[in-house]
Amino acid sequence: MPSDTVLIIGGGPAGLTAARAVGELGGRALVVETRERLGGMPDEANYAALTPDFRPASEAVAEMVAAVEALPGVSVRTSTRVTAREGEAGDFRLTLASGEATEVVEAGAVIIATGFQHFDPGRETQMYGYYEYEDVLTLQDLEAQLKEHRVVVPSTGKAPETLCFIQCVGSRDRRIGNTWCSKVCCGIASKEAIEVKRLAPQCKVFIFYIDMRMYGFWEDQLYWKAQEEHHVQFIRGIVTEVIRRGEKLVVKGEDTTMGRPVEAPMDMVVLSVGMEPSRGTVEMSKVLGVPLESHGFIAAPGNPLDTVTTEVPGIFVAGAAAGPKDLEDTVGMAGLAAARAVALLRTAASTAQPVG
Amino acid sequence: MSSPDPNRGGPSAPSTLTAGTIPLEVVHARSFTRNPDLAPIEDIREEVLKLEAEGEWIVQRVPDDHTEVTTKYGRTKKIPNRHTWHHKSCGQCGHIPGYSTAIFWLNRELGTEYNDPRDQTSCTAWNYYASATSNAPAQAAVAMRNFAAAYETGFYPVIHCGTSYGHYKEVREELVRHPDLRAQVRDILARMNKPLVMPEEMIHYSEWIHVMRHEIRKRTVLDLSNITCVVHPACHYYKLVAEDAIYDQEIYGGQRTAIMSQLLETLGAKVADYSTWFDCCGFGFRHVLVQRDFTRSFATLRKIERMKEEANPDVTITHDTGCVTTLDKSQFAAKAHGRNVGIPVMSEAQFAALAMGAHPYRVCQLHWHSTDYRPLLEKMGIDWEKAWAEFESDLDRLRSGKTEFLTWDDANAK
Amino acid sequence: MTVPVVREATPERKAEIFGKVVADVRFQDYVHGCYECGICVAACPSARFYDFSPRKITQAVCREDLDLFWEHVNVDVWNCSQCFSCDRCPRGNSPGGLITIMREVAVTAGLRSAKEALEGGERVVYKIMSTGTQVSPDMLQPEAFPDWGPDVQDVSRNLDLWRRALPPETLHTTTTAWEIDDKTLVELYLIWHMTGVLDMIKAVDEGLHMILNDVMEELLEDHDIVVS
Repeated sequence: MPSDTVLIIGGGPAGLTAARAVGELGGRALVVETRERLGGMPDEANYAALTPDFRPASEAVAEMVAAVEALPGVSVRTSTRVTAREGEAGDFRLTLASGEATEVVEAGAVIIATGFQHFDPGRETQMYGYYEYEDVLTLQDLEAQLKEHRVVVPSTGKAPETLCFIQCVGSRDRRIGNTWCSKVCCGIASKEAIEVKRLAPQCKVFIFYIDMRMYGFWEDQLYWKAQEEHHVQFIRGIVTEVIRRGEKLVVKGEDTTMGRPVEAPMDMVVLSVGMEPSRGTVEMSKVLGVPLESHGFIAAPGNPLDTVTTEVPGIFVAGAAAGPKDLEDTVGMAGLAAARAVALLRTAASTAQPVG
Repeated sequence: MSSPDPNRGGPSAPSTLTAGTIPLEVVHARSFTRNPDLAPIEDIREEVLKLEAEGEWIVQRVPDDHTEVTTKYGRTKKIPNRHTWHHKSCGQCGHIPGYSTAIFWLNRELGTEYNDPRDQTSCTAWNYYASATSNAPAQAAVAMRNFAAAYETGFYPVIHCGTSYGHYKEVREELVRHPDLRAQVRDILARMNKPLVMPEEMIHYSEWIHVMRHEIRKRTVLDLSNITCVVHPACHYYKLVAEDAIYDQEIYGGQRTAIMSQLLETLGAKVADYSTWFDCCGFGFRHVLVQRDFTRSFATLRKIERMKEEANPDVTITHDTGCVTTLDKSQFAAKAHGRNVGIPVMSEAQFAALAMGAHPYRVCQLHWHSTDYRPLLEKMGIDWEKAWAEFESDLDRLRSGKTEFLTWDDANAK
Repeated sequence: MTVPVVREATPERKAEIFGKVVADVRFQDYVHGCYECGICVAACPSARFYDFSPRKITQAVCREDLDLFWEHVNVDVWNCSQCFSCDRCPRGNSPGGLITIMREVAVTAGLRSAKEALEGGERVVYKIMSTGTQVSPDMLQPEAFPDWGPDVQDVSRNLDLWRRALPPETLHTTTTAWEIDDKTLVELYLIWHMTGVLDMIKAVDEGLHMILNDVMEELLEDHDIVVS
């Protein structure tokens, strides 16, 4: 007997959007989340405002959660992980573990929405000193400050006079093994730069970049806005070292458009760390038997025209579990994954039951 | 076309410079652990062993008596504790012989058997990087001839020079990647009746000192707590084929090589930071020979003056031939021009030997160094005047013909 | 430093030299592609003193821009410090390694700029190739190192005595860095012959080649080694 439930693994933007779509299509969804609450990375990593519209992330997440909770067909298990899979499309049996307790649930289809994790700057082969200097932050470290509507130099507690972002940390790098572009960091850095300028207008803000990748509307919504309205300085060239000199951090790079080495003292340095497959993504690949593509994300062999179908029938993927994604891509994929999953269940149901 | 200001291009440094922070301090709220599973590149040592299994060459194994350390990508490296074959450095033996002597002296004091071969040539990489009058097969053949010579003695090769060490790692990569090159070098060695032998690990002598640091500490007779050191790590140790260098998460948060710094910390000396830590010394290979204005300027403006301004150390410690030479010798001309220089420079081998009570002239041969080291010796509690008088009387004996050479027994004579 | 003039060359000559660089066995390991991030320049000591850019050298080669390449292979490559700080390249390039190849090709082809760049370094080449140790104590002559101060004079004046005052038995030499077996030297000469290094020397310095050849032949004959 085919199951009428779509099991959605992951309660972040992709999982929540997929669950809402399944529910709105009149289907049943079960969302499984390892954390004790829903919201995913925007919640876990304290995102302040979303890119590109500056909407408070907590408000947006709350809205997504509320939409799901309002749907009678959708149920949620938090603090729960998937530990085993049996069966096939239309008739999966998945073992859920919560603390010591385990339970087997049935599902007709599965959507993997396990997202990404931020690159650990300790593995960067440039010398950025994240584990040496507390005034070196990551994008999400700064988000946590912005969420509290402040920008301060951790070592002094004062507002910074100079701050820079360094792009492509852990992305586009053969020496590290992450050869992909993480897509969103250029936009997020520009967004954060604008927020810094709003909170600390006297602060000089620089962004060191290789290529500014500002797709579509992000160009004028973020890049031009940062440059024209907030006088954020974009310097084409990447920093090779961050090291302390006196009270300041010194960043060393080449200003490639001017063709000269540059050394600039900074109060704060923000590393634009990229996306890597999350531990949950890697784990679900093993538990569910779903192959990864060459970069280590969940493979969707029908790309680019089918972004959600994995190599295992009945198992779909949505969001950054399949590779670096912005929110627009994520929710778009989640909707398609939900549609495919519901369609699969309905086909299975119609072939299993005689039309009466 | 050249700019006189090496620090051009950026806003200038803050005018009030404070003493360097101690780099060994890390951000404890953040803890970083290397995961070897995330290493971005294949482990070349596995390829080396695979080639042995295929009959391509012999792999000389690290002796059973060894110590394991962690390298850049979180992998484990075996450092031999004893029974080592010493691939000497031409620049050390030729111009700063206290460097090589101190390495041998440490081996003798620690009772680790060693072999100081006559069947050894330079790696010839100084010439290769300076004049390019060589090529990949010649460089590989020189390396493999030396490794075969080590293998024949049964002692494990330990390389004194950072450039030899770095270059031999390049050669290892080339030989692993290119079967034709391997075949060519195998033929050349066959003409000498030598087998093709690749060591299981490439070992720099400073790695041996690193793993011996606790033994050295036990034998330390000087109080070094008031000595401030700065460290200059050699580019060819940790940048050229980067994955073999030693890292430790307790030192610089695992972000910079722990070599030398961890030894100095263990010996009880202070290690100070400075903002051009990652910069090259300026040696330049050909520059130090024929374009020394560059070498001098870089060494003093980018390195020594920064160290002086930011950390005001008692000594600069480094672990490579070219770096000791460049950083030490370049200071004379800068001093004559009234620049803010004047930091003695020596290898960590010499510094560790001094700490263990080695004679500053008979063993560490500091009279071959240029920048005044006497204030450092005084601060370390070493009576250099007495030591020099002792050495002078040694020289008198040699002059008189009573003895031909200073011996190891003489070196430790009271 | 003296700036060698870039001699005009035919497009065919430039293409021929470029082709030799690309054909080197190491080229594929050293050059992948360049997105001009500038990390190599930021880490480069030579870039701080010279109008020198490992990024531009790599980019010119990637673009197969023969005119730019020609300037680089004649002039700029000799400013590189060969420290390999540029090996941090996120694309996995080794600009320093590329420059090593370019220098070798310049020497082998006997480019005049290479001959000029090597002027003053002959004795080092002679020392390493003939004695097996790159530098020797007797090279520490005050006239060669006037900028190193009076200590060089001390060393040179006391050289024989100070060398005898070294405890390691292998270090009592003055013309080589350490004592080296004849058999070892014969093997080294064999390597120079069999890998074409002697021919490289001939291309840039005939006089040096002649002296080296004489020294080597003598020892090889003593050991009954015939070099084809």
